[in-house]
Amino acid sequence: MGSDLDEQIEQLKRCEPISEEQVKRLCLKAREILIEEANVQHIDSPVTICGDIHGQFFDLMELFSVGGFCPDTNYLFMGDFVDRGFYSVETFLLLLALKVRYPERMTLIRGNHESRQITQVYGFYDECQRKYGGTNVWRWCCEVFDYLALGAIVDGRVFGVHGGLSPNLHSIDQIRAIDRKQEVPHDGPMCDLLWSDPDDIQGWGLSPRGAGYLFGGDITKQFAHTNALDLIARAHQLAMEGYKIMFERTIVTVWSAPNYCYRCGNVASILELDEHLGQEYKVFSHAPIDVRSVPSKRPPADYFL
Amino acid sequence: MSTPLPVHKLLESPTSRAIEIGDWAVTVSTNPISNARDCDALHAALGFPLPEMTFGSNFLCLEHRPSKWKYEFTTLNALKCVKNGELGEGDGGVKVGYADAWLKSRTAPSSALPMPKTVPTKPYDWTYTTAYAGHPSVWTPPADDDSTSDASSRPPSPAPPPDSSGPPREWAWTLADAANPSHAIPLAELSRPDPILFYAEVPLFEDELHDNGAAHLLVRVRVMPTCLFVLARFTLRVDGVLFRLRDTRLYSALNSTPPLVVRETSGWEAPYDRVKGTLPRRDDLSPLTDSNYIAKVLTGMPLQSSQKDGAGTAWRGLGTTLEVAVLG
Repeated sequence: MGSDLDEQIEQLKRCEPISEEQVKRLCLKAREILIEEANVQHIDSPVTICGDIHGQFFDLMELFSVGGFCPDTNYLFMGDFVDRGFYSVETFLLLLALKVRYPERMTLIRGNHESRQITQVYGFYDECQRKYGGTNVWRWCCEVFDYLALGAIVDGRVFGVHGGLSPNLHSIDQIRAIDRKQEVPHDGPMCDLLWSDPDDIQGWGLSPRGAGYLFGGDITKQFAHTNALDLIARAHQLAMEGYKIMFERTIVTVWSAPNYCYRCGNVASILELDEHLGQEYKVFSHAPIDVRSVPSKRPPADYFL
Repeated sequence: MSTPLPVHKLLESPTSRAIEIGDWAVTVSTNPISNARDCDALHAALGFPLPEMTFGSNFLCLEHRPSKWKYEFTTLNALKCVKNGELGEGDGGVKVGYADAWLKSRTAPSSALPMPKTVPTKPYDWTYTTAYAGHPSVWTPPADDDSTSDASSRPPSPAPPPDSSGPPREWAWTLADAANPSHAIPLAELSRPDPILFYAEVPLFEDELHDNGAAHLLVRVRVMPTCLFVLARFTLRVDGVLFRLRDTRLYSALNSTPPLVVRETSGWEAPYDRVKGTLPRRDDLSPLTDSNYIAKVLTGMPLQSSQKDGAGTAWRGLGTTLEVAVLG
């Protein structure tokens, strides 16, 4: 499989989708690896932590050129690989191929977009249909999503999760008890890990939307203290400057999709942890405009009514 | 035989574009989303969390020089029309589709996942519903000294019009007269494939409601050989709950005497499943993220359902109002 897989990686790096049959085998292989992983995967430093990618393939290439390609650099991607960008298929399959090729060097955890329900609304489902003329690829990818870990912990001291904390989870050990192999539920601690947000409050807050939690600085510090953490790294929210540190450096939002949705004009970042867990944020901009990637800056004149 | 185009001047800077035609000047500015510092300032001014994508420096500005009439669409003013505080009658407040189930799973006596003690979070309309229809702005005479003008963000200002003395004329919106044909937006004229002299799309804000849907406000403008036309459209989708649309259209014929601006404001709503039922392919929900598709479905429904019953939220923004302003 090694050399086949290397060829597929090369192909995907050119943003060319692999065949449906190859996707099927890749997804099967990925599941065999992911099923062995813990809900909170243990990884060793040095590692580079990345936030949302959202199908912005050429910006992912930009990320690799800033951070180094895998396997030269170890990576932790904190979910939301797909949806919204134009290349969710190539983006997710490349990350997955790297995971299968270098399982110890590439860690992928689940974001709230790695879900059947969300991808049917935000583009990945539609893109799979367009690129493969059917729903098989989408189904296989969704099966892989169900096996993705919910979090990762670097040297026991930096905790990575897509969304945030849950009022029902006080320790990282409690996360290990979750049965994660399912569609992202609408409630419960697994939902909280993928959906909740830090906010400038004390204690827990209910989102004004009617579902979902907000957690304050005291909660964050307590969780860090209980679990002997230096830092909680999460993604999930756009940060114009690429990252946002809160609560006396106990939590950071890392955002890795520059010029989000091809129109926000924001920069992105990755967080490099060295072998002593020293933190360095590397900020990068979106890929030079690729004719295939970005609609023209000025929209065509339209006879709107 | 083609008619010659009216004389007009196009101006451009890295972040803005403008057209001057007859008595009118139309300026747009488009920029990246606001940075953390600008967001903090906007947050302080508004008092509620900002939309995820807040284009705080974007605007559309219309100026009718002889009457010193200035009318703008800006992000700050659009967000000022979002309900800040507890939502009440007419505000059209909603919860996400699974809110009841979510709360029940946390509060039922048998719940294995008891709700922690929570602190009250800031109440505000998290859907960012706004009935903003633009706002009149203070006339500032075009500066002819570059050192005093904001040259970095706006194109060079033109020379002041000849009758530049005196205060701006008084004006007000009044209900349109149904019997007066000029008190309407002439769809036939706007559908005519005349050359578009100036076109721009100005996003003011977008938010994905934490992946529970989407809210966005986009202003579009086109200047035609005979008229100028603006459409500001707020589109809202709350997954499993509803779709909502609020349009503001401004129209002015370039040669009207006295100068007249027509403004039409309309609101529509429909339950989510009603719109979902119109999808060409049942398993592909992506048209539901396209505001043109939403607008087509909502405006194509019987008015009783989309502009009166709506989605049962009793939102006061439903219905249509047609107004005019004589600029003197």
